[in-house]
Amino acid sequence: MPPIVRRLAGGLAMPFGSVVFAFVVGALIVGVTGANPFSAYAGLICGGLGIGCTQGENPALEISNTIVFVIPLITTGVAVALPFRAGLFNIGAEGQLLAGSMACAAIGIKFNTLPSPILLPMVLLGGMAAGAVWAGIPGVLKAVVGAHEVVTTIMLNYVAQWLLRFLIIGGPLQLGPGTSKSLPIGDGARLATLLPADNSLIVLGLPSSVFRVHTGLLIALAAAALFAFLLWRTSFGYEIRAVGQSQKAARYAGVSVRRTIILTMLIAGAFSGLAGAIQIAGVDHNLTDKYFSDTTGFDAIAVALLGLGSAVGIVLASVLFGALHSGGAIMQSDAGISSNLVLVLQALILFSIAANFVGAIRRGLPIGRKPSALPPELPPAAGLMSEAATAPPETA
Amino acid sequence: MAHKQFRFLGVVAAAMVLAVACGGTSGGGTPTKTFKIGLVTDIGGLNDKSFNHLADVGLEKAKAEFKIQADVKESKSGDDYVPNLTDFATKSYDLVIGVGFLMQEAVGTVSGTFPNVHFSIIDGAGTDAKGVDLKHSNVQSLFFKEQDAGAMVGVIAGWLEKNGKAKKNKHVVGAVGGISIPPVNHYIAGYKWAAKMEDPSVNVLVGYSNNFTDPAKCKGQAQTQIGQGADVIFQVAGGCGLGALQAAGQGGVYSVGVDADQKDADASVIASALKKVDVATYTAIKNVVNGQFQSGALTFSIANEGAGYAIDNFDPPAELKTELDKIQAQIKSGALTPPADIP
Repeated sequence: MPPIVRRLAGGLAMPFGSVVFAFVVGALIVGVTGANPFSAYAGLICGGLGIGCTQGENPALEISNTIVFVIPLITTGVAVALPFRAGLFNIGAEGQLLAGSMACAAIGIKFNTLPSPILLPMVLLGGMAAGAVWAGIPGVLKAVVGAHEVVTTIMLNYVAQWLLRFLIIGGPLQLGPGTSKSLPIGDGARLATLLPADNSLIVLGLPSSVFRVHTGLLIALAAAALFAFLLWRTSFGYEIRAVGQSQKAARYAGVSVRRTIILTMLIAGAFSGLAGAIQIAGVDHNLTDKYFSDTTGFDAIAVALLGLGSAVGIVLASVLFGALHSGGAIMQSDAGISSNLVLVLQALILFSIAANFVGAIRRGLPIGRKPSALPPELPPAAGLMSEAATAPPETA
Repeated sequence: MAHKQFRFLGVVAAAMVLAVACGGTSGGGTPTKTFKIGLVTDIGGLNDKSFNHLADVGLEKAKAEFKIQADVKESKSGDDYVPNLTDFATKSYDLVIGVGFLMQEAVGTVSGTFPNVHFSIIDGAGTDAKGVDLKHSNVQSLFFKEQDAGAMVGVIAGWLEKNGKAKKNKHVVGAVGGISIPPVNHYIAGYKWAAKMEDPSVNVLVGYSNNFTDPAKCKGQAQTQIGQGADVIFQVAGGCGLGALQAAGQGGVYSVGVDADQKDADASVIASALKKVDVATYTAIKNVVNGQFQSGALTFSIANEGAGYAIDNFDPPAELKTELDKIQAQIKSGALTPPADIP
């Protein structure tokens, strides 16, 4: 077998094995509870990918709904993967996303009369700037005083959530007394949908306004490509990877570790903030209480891990998670199985990655890796990411 | 070694493809002349012991009585409302029910896209982004006269104070509201009005936590009222209000639950003011099955048994029971009308 195929297979075994593991265990759980796992997965595949629908679902609509969920996962997935490459664990993608959505909404409401060519870049860049600030704080703290980014990013998630709560309940962005949402952003701040939002235009048998796929998809794919380019085709990307592999070696090679950490976090935060801005500009058009329970930034951690921190992997993992999210509701109404199964599957995938069953099997028994393989000061997931870093560079 | 893995993966993949193919053929075969009813929960999910659960109870009751196909979708996040409603609408369901005011905007959007599909929404209307009712002719709002339910528990509180059967008997009772919005104030209005009617000397304390989710905030409000001598605390603040029930339990006074029967929330709960979402859901389905769907508001009250009360961890004296039956009959007949605004 040629070595390139061997390396590819080695790299892909972990994510594919984890997904297969999750689906097999999920099927057992469904089976044990007396339901039919095959009809459950048929519902999931129909709702997620629009394939094999039996109860009158429109495949194009299912795909459209899935893509709407995929878009923010790609951008926040990148925001988690980039710091991973530098050996940093960004658990604050959710807070950075919220910061981006708040900035986008505030700008979009304040300047709601401006035309789209001016206002749309303003809200997107504003969201990126806010996300960058939100991630830059932990970056500076890590670089200057050594505060652990896991703790600081988690805490800033809470700050963002409560700031949002203040803004739309009793704060300056509240629509009116008793409401928990903001005014809608101006028309100029909205991302266009791919199909016109028109109730009278019939596309594929449905009013075209039900297809909510918006141009944020192109931005998200561009963000993933930019991430790959930055990481593999620029000297800064090389510095990020060098810092991630070994800070001491990087410093010895003349890389400024502090500068790299701060810049990495700023860029990651900008990606997350962009995700939040895109959600407001492309889907919601106002800040609502649904952001109190948003989990995109946490799902992004699983996406980044499952995608092995590579751009193509992140897009594929986002499609999987988006399809699971979107398919859950179809599974529930078609097969009568609680959509909570989706959360079980997601947790099993993450569990399998964290436990690294596949890696242990690949290396043969005894299970587990030698402790000396990891430098002690790295966070737990860094082992996975440094393993991922040895995968061949993609050209996306 | 990698070769073996590929073979294994191939086998698994083949098995899954076969499985999906089998699953696909076993479905279908829907009988004709069956009404299709879709229920979409809000993020509370079916086990919220409140609105979503009760809506499902009403759906199950309708399923037992009529020839309907009843399907439920639980929303995992606010992002799911529009796709979940849309899915039922694209499949030409005869009625799509949204549970709770959180779904107002989604119902407004989707009902505009599908003018030929009937929608019902519990405790809300189909609105635009600014919360303005779009008044679509295919949307029915299921509202409740909260003041009716509030009045019944107000009778209990007032009667206990008047007859010295409460814990402190200082003629003070309290109500802890979430945010000062109409449904909350309707409850409190009925409560205060009925308590005063029973015991004219009673002082009804009203406080707001400005919150619907954080029990600590309502606990603080309730403790303040207990400190001022209140010995019946009526919570009107959803999840936040659970803290008020707790405060009553710890302060050794009585409490009253809201919306659903909150008997199990705390031992201090002597009664609950009920919004019978199950009755509303069942009625909405029945109307559709009988071809009597009407747009606009459908209001549930004591008169149509869509509002009421439950006696919880408490054994009411016979005189109180008589009094409750008397007042309930008078509200039902229209002889008494609890006010919608706090008197």
